[in-house]
Amino acid sequence: MDPKLTEVSQLFERFKAALVRNDFDTCANLLSQLKVLLTGFRSLPPLFEDTPNAIHELTLARDIYEHAVILSVKTEDQDAFERDFFQLKPYYTDASGRLPQSPQEYIILGLNLLRLLVQNRIAEFHTELELLSSTALENPCIKHAVELEQSFMEGAYNRVLSARQTAPHESFVYFMDLLAKTVRDEIGGCSEKAYDYLSISDARQMLLFSSDKELADYIKEDHPEWEIKDGCVFFQKAKETAPCKEIPSLQLINQTLSYARELERIV
Amino acid sequence: MTNDVEMKENPVPSNPTTLTSHSTLHDLKEIAGLIETGAYSREVRRIMRAVRLTMALRRKLNSSVLFAFLSFALTPGSDAYTRISAYLPKEDEHEMEVDTATSSTQAPVKHPLPELEIYCYLVVLIFLIDQKNYSEAKACASASIARLRNINRRTVDVLSSRLYFYYSLSYELTSDLAEIRSDLLALHRIATLRQDELGQETLLNLLLRNYLHYNLYDQAEKLRSKAPRFEAHSNQQFCRYLFYLGKIRTIQLEYTDAKESLLQAARKAPVAALGFRVQCNKWAVIVRLLLGEIPERTVFMQKGMEKALRPYFELTNAVRIGDLELFKSVAERFSSTFNKDGTHNLTVRLRHNVIRTGLRNISISYSRISLADVAEKLRLDSPNPVADAECIVAKAIRDGAVDAILNHTDGWMVSKETGDIYSTNEPQMAFNSRIAFCLNMHNEAVRALRFPPNSHKEKESAENRRERQQQEQELAKHIAEEDDDEF
Repeated sequence: MDPKLTEVSQLFERFKAALVRNDFDTCANLLSQLKVLLTGFRSLPPLFEDTPNAIHELTLARDIYEHAVILSVKTEDQDAFERDFFQLKPYYTDASGRLPQSPQEYIILGLNLLRLLVQNRIAEFHTELELLSSTALENPCIKHAVELEQSFMEGAYNRVLSARQTAPHESFVYFMDLLAKTVRDEIGGCSEKAYDYLSISDARQMLLFSSDKELADYIKEDHPEWEIKDGCVFFQKAKETAPCKEIPSLQLINQTLSYARELERIV
Repeated sequence: MTNDVEMKENPVPSNPTTLTSHSTLHDLKEIAGLIETGAYSREVRRIMRAVRLTMALRRKLNSSVLFAFLSFALTPGSDAYTRISAYLPKEDEHEMEVDTATSSTQAPVKHPLPELEIYCYLVVLIFLIDQKNYSEAKACASASIARLRNINRRTVDVLSSRLYFYYSLSYELTSDLAEIRSDLLALHRIATLRQDELGQETLLNLLLRNYLHYNLYDQAEKLRSKAPRFEAHSNQQFCRYLFYLGKIRTIQLEYTDAKESLLQAARKAPVAALGFRVQCNKWAVIVRLLLGEIPERTVFMQKGMEKALRPYFELTNAVRIGDLELFKSVAERFSSTFNKDGTHNLTVRLRHNVIRTGLRNISISYSRISLADVAEKLRLDSPNPVADAECIVAKAIRDGAVDAILNHTDGWMVSKETGDIYSTNEPQMAFNSRIAFCLNMHNEAVRALRFPPNSHKEKESAENRRERQQQEQELAKHIAEEDDDEF
């Protein structure tokens, strides 16, 4: 076997061992060494040269990047996740004809969808979604993310929250926790428009706090315009004031002048 | 016009060819003459006309005519001749030999023009595609593209842009589009360097098509936003560009812009391009639904489209009524159609709109309704419908879809009195946008009145005028056929 390949495989074994031990410093260290070593292989993207060991090298590289993505989730580093995912992606798209499908593929893709959802990059979410085949869409990991997005758009927030229990893979939990924070802000935003007031216990329940104090802290920090009195939270102040009765004269003048100018051009 | 004379002198070939193939050959020779004059006088429009005329002949081509034409246009025995004729199926050895023999004796020794050579490639390629001989077509197309790289003449641009199109088509028909992506990118670069705008336009569209074929919306958008833009040269290419643009924007949730592009593409497309217009309409319907608009019934009743648009009509109906059950059943019933059209994921997005419409209907009909009833009316199938309904209504209120207030303790939704719309600025704004639209339309119409360059300098002679009129007539006649072929 190619000595370079052996070296990478050995290093990768050490990396995997460290990942199991949750020794993240060692992992990060080994990963950067691995990435440097991978640049030496000419069969990997973007060159895709047909070397005798190509299949082996591609599989190994894919495995390494998949673990890198998992590592980034464990270390809760979204930027690293994005970087590693984009390095991994060519192995799923461009090399798909030459390699057998990776068992991790759908988990990783599902994680990526979830990340885009958490970062509220819905356009990219849908762009990624278009790339998936109908069999992929049936996979529980992908389906989970797709259903989350739907519930999120509809406003069925409690469905989003209950989805945390049904997460198809342990690594999804990190993003689900992030999503819960986003959901809380969304619910807060909706409530202040939809209700005149809520009793403190209801508000606590809705905003998913375990104690009244947490609720009070949250209101103080994020929504100082909400009022707490008589055991209720009042949203009155957050409502818009009565519609302005004033005539928007400047705007009207501008419009009329532009009509006059255009008409003059026609006649 | 020396060529015309030359052609008249051509005696009728002695071998027994049928009348049609003879006249086809004659037409082809005429086209070749047109290309020659165009090439010598550097008039691109003549070559454009030649391409249009070819499209009319397309159905009449057969291999013996093509052999005869090749030996007429290129010197038999020359490099180009052997290269191109190798792609034609040798079905009729005997007749062919006679044909080449007769022609070669008459063929005047002339300097082979690159335009003619490229044109021969084009005709042969079209013939091969029509014969469904795709592997030969691919080989021929690749060879012609390799040849094109070395020719840098503006008069070739028209022909080369057609060649690019068929090059891509031949690969698409064998579903090997991914193979030629890097070649197309290289060609696009070359076209940009040579300022071949028609070529750039065509290649950009081919690339977009290539990417969208594999649902690579991200790459397509990146290319589109960075490629140089200029005023469109060909209406067909512009329509396609608009369609691809509309698709990309739909996927990226820019519905307003997407709607504009798709509707414009559908309007600009020629009447004959039915398939293309149906596609545009399908996407436009979905986008309008996603925007919360309900397309008019006339959209679905356009001539020749009723059947194709039927699933979309049913879908619209479900969204209009706001019935989730109906929507689900329609989506399931036509799922194969939606999958084929690539609109399946978009219909999934529509669920949210169905709920919104249903909610709006409820809020208009009732001044106060319990959330349990709302959940029942919306037919939300979830373990906890009331809580779901409450969240959904709350979000709808925040997004301004319904004007209501929730009461959590009693579990009600209280609709607010709808105010008098005429006491607000709303009508003024609506009028303004309509006036702006009309004025804009007028301005664009004025701008679109273009005049050919130099038309004011020299008065056209009688002959020129006759030719121009004839050309215009042909244009009107052939444009429909050409579009038909393309889409």
